[in-house]
Amino acid sequence: MSMPDSPDSAALRRRLSALEAQREEAQRTIDELNSRDALKTQFLSNISHDLRTPLAAIITHAEILREGMLGDLNPRQRDSVSGIVNGGQQLIDMIDEILTYVRSASDQVTLVRTEFCITEVVDQVRLLNEALAARKRLTIERVNGDDIPPVYADRDKLKHVLGNLIGNAIKFTPDGGRIWISLSRRGAEADELLVEVGDTGRGIARDHYELVFREFAQVDSSPSRPHHGTGLGLAIARKLVELHSGMIWVESELGKGSRFFFTLPLNPPRD
Amino acid sequence: MAARILIVEDSALVTDAFEVLFGEAGYEVDSARTVAEAVELSKRKSVDVMLLDLTLPDGNGLEVLDALRGPDRLPRATLAMTGDSDPDTRRKCLEAGCTDILVKPVPIRDLLRQIERLLA
Repeated sequence: MSMPDSPDSAALRRRLSALEAQREEAQRTIDELNSRDALKTQFLSNISHDLRTPLAAIITHAEILREGMLGDLNPRQRDSVSGIVNGGQQLIDMIDEILTYVRSASDQVTLVRTEFCITEVVDQVRLLNEALAARKRLTIERVNGDDIPPVYADRDKLKHVLGNLIGNAIKFTPDGGRIWISLSRRGAEADELLVEVGDTGRGIARDHYELVFREFAQVDSSPSRPHHGTGLGLAIARKLVELHSGMIWVESELGKGSRFFFTLPLNPPRD
Repeated sequence: MAARILIVEDSALVTDAFEVLFGEAGYEVDSARTVAEAVELSKRKSVDVMLLDLTLPDGNGLEVLDALRGPDRLPRATLAMTGDSDPDTRRKCLEAGCTDILVKPVPIRDLLRQIERLLA
């Protein structure tokens, strides 16, 4: 014979049952969001691949023309065809950025760590960007770092992070400005590398410090915004730094430039 | 006799571009759109360099190499063409017997120079 429920235990059972229903509802929402996220990732991946193929054909045809393989071009014709190649290459770079984002967002990125000199990588990225900076009469310099020990990290991924930070600095710094890269050690045992990419650009309001690292976010997202891009550069930089167990952040003031920082453990566990 | 290049690629746009490029550079050019076509053509004609796209309508491009493994059937060199530079893809291509992996679009000067070197 069962005992009749006390009012307290009946209320408790009702509460438990309500909680269970809420938990199930939350789980359904999570499943739904995960499945939509997977669809979005797949869509971005497919569309990136499908955009790449005709673009590759356009660039190859334009290069054939530019190289004079189908007959000599006069200088104006060559400049014009070079414009097609460069524009196409810029689009390819943007598509690659989307693919990198898709991979990093769905945890498909694995680090391939080797030991290397970080200042060499900084200098490579600096050189790669010099022509672009020169067009706006910007200077890019590495101000220190010769004493930094070798790092054990994924060289290509760090190059990507530095490329995105320096690329952004170039984009958002007005003509005649300055961009610098500084490397130092920090932490109680100096076991962390701190990299700073600073610029004399227009700066970021405090309210937007977090927003700029969010995918697809641009502080000015209007169609007439002066700077176009995928809006993924800093989101990717954050993912890649976090994969290395580092941190990334910005310090800035409107009109007074920005300083982006990221850290890397100098002695991470070896594989 | 001019060296023969086989383009294995499902996009007609990309194949057209390569046909113009290699034709103008003085090579014999053939093309295949699927794994099956590439295998059939390679058995019929001797191929010096194969440019191999990895995503084909009837399978992975590397299956072409698997099917051709055997005496005198594989091309002298195979250049895999992919849309990404993922280290994992790279490893799989080299393990399957590709000579090198190129990320599309390959700058044509680099491509012609590399093929020249492979045929030297």
